[in-house]
Amino acid sequence: MIARYLHLTLLMMKNCLVREMQFRANFLIRLVTEVMWLGMQYVYLEVIFGQAADVGGWNKWQMVALLGTNHLVNQIFEALFFDNCARLVDQVRQGDLDFVLVKPANSQFLVSIRYTDFASILNGLVGVFLIAWAARQMGLTLDLGTVLLYALLVVNGVLILYSMMFMLSTLTFWIGRSSNLFELYYQLGQFARNPAEIYRWGLRVFLLTLVPMLVVSNYPAQAVARGLDLGHAAYGLSIGLAFFLAASLVWERGLRRYRSASS
Amino acid sequence: MDTPATVSPRPGWWKYWVILSTRTQEDMAYRVNYVVGAIFRFLPLVTTLYLWMAVYKSRGETGGGTEIAGWTLGNMVSYYAFVYIARGFSSMPGMTRDICVDIKDGALNRYLVKPMSYFWYQVVYRLAHKLVFWLVALFTFPPIFWFIREAFTHRPSVLEVAAFVASLFIAFSIGICFNFLIGLLAFWFTEISTFLFVIMVMEFFLSGHLIPLNLLPAAAQPFLNYLPFAFEAYWPCTILMGKVPAGELGGLLGLGLAWAVSLFLACLVVWRLGVKRYSAVGG
Repeated sequence: MIARYLHLTLLMMKNCLVREMQFRANFLIRLVTEVMWLGMQYVYLEVIFGQAADVGGWNKWQMVALLGTNHLVNQIFEALFFDNCARLVDQVRQGDLDFVLVKPANSQFLVSIRYTDFASILNGLVGVFLIAWAARQMGLTLDLGTVLLYALLVVNGVLILYSMMFMLSTLTFWIGRSSNLFELYYQLGQFARNPAEIYRWGLRVFLLTLVPMLVVSNYPAQAVARGLDLGHAAYGLSIGLAFFLAASLVWERGLRRYRSASS
Repeated sequence: MDTPATVSPRPGWWKYWVILSTRTQEDMAYRVNYVVGAIFRFLPLVTTLYLWMAVYKSRGETGGGTEIAGWTLGNMVSYYAFVYIARGFSSMPGMTRDICVDIKDGALNRYLVKPMSYFWYQVVYRLAHKLVFWLVALFTFPPIFWFIREAFTHRPSVLEVAAFVASLFIAFSIGICFNFLIGLLAFWFTEISTFLFVIMVMEFFLSGHLIPLNLLPAAAQPFLNYLPFAFEAYWPCTILMGKVPAGELGGLLGLGLAWAVSLFLACLVVWRLGVKRYSAVGG
């Protein structure tokens, strides 16, 4: 069963890669754009740390590691899921979901994984570069356990972003069209970029539970740059699991309301 | 708007009024979308404020003083709040993309055959957007500004308020003309959608939207402060904060106006050159 879904994933990815390879220059332009965006964020950090030695207890290189981690998580999410979530809204509205529902595979899987944006994966590597640079500047020697925990928490962050975005898209079964959902995703993403410590406790609790943006990038960045105890790591992973289960539940509920379109 | 067929000819500006009113009504049809979006848009302000609060706190604890480049935390908070007002005039979301699409898929034909300038059509179209934006802002801005009221320690003089209003007009003009110019690039280049993002990011940075320009390296400031982009956010905000000496206001606004006029003239010239190349694809 897992092999079958893995095979399906690879097929769909191959299909996307073939299409994207027709526009190779696009990869380069996207890369330049991302590097520019990150360069700007780096200047922001330079300005801030020109004025203060730490921000919420994080020093400059720890913040660079956070910046890189947040970039990595977001790019993986955008590569695999963002476009699919965006398309889902139209599929429901126009009745195109029919074509998915008649296929003999899990419908949530099919709508979530259909299109892969390979340029984003390439861009994610820029995030890895930032983390490696920061680790070098801090003189960190990373053992295998830390790297594995980091990787696990990054995947967990992607899972949380996916689950939240997927639930927002699924709302379309109930409320029809809402283009603002994507705006909400972008604006909420801003909270993940900063250290949890700068937010007042009420907001921090909110961002660790109901809208767990602080688990998304803060946790992995902490694991590699500041140390994260296993209790927090376990909490973070269970949040990821809970949100994923919630997303599946909302999807099942939503499907019951689906009634195709026109004729 | 049912008008008898025999009415006397409308004045020349009438057609623009019709566009303005239609576009405004179109936007109002999505008012719930608008209000929700208008509230979401303040979320980045929350993170920015917390970030700067942490910076000032850390600086204070290590004996760095309570000011950064002569600005208190209150100044910094007011700056980022005022950026919302300034960008409410200067930012033109989607404008370059719309123009590119019009040019590339031949939709421009529709406008070329009308007795109306495409430039002024775009101006009126954006004006309608801004009208609706500010109508909604009347409800969303006051509570947020009230919430951070302690930050507003400077009481602007009448002169400063007048200069601020003038700077907003300049910000709007520069925003329109710059984005129009970039959109016209589609006459020469076929695939510029990613390039548009680069421009947007650049504008975000150079206008002082991300970081107040006076915090950037001293070497870059003489240059950045006098680019047209600085008039899209940095100057309107600092004028209202009382950070521009009264004696310099005239010269500064003069420069802004000069940029706006130059960009406007550039729009007219580039438009003429572009239309000559235009091949009306798909017409």
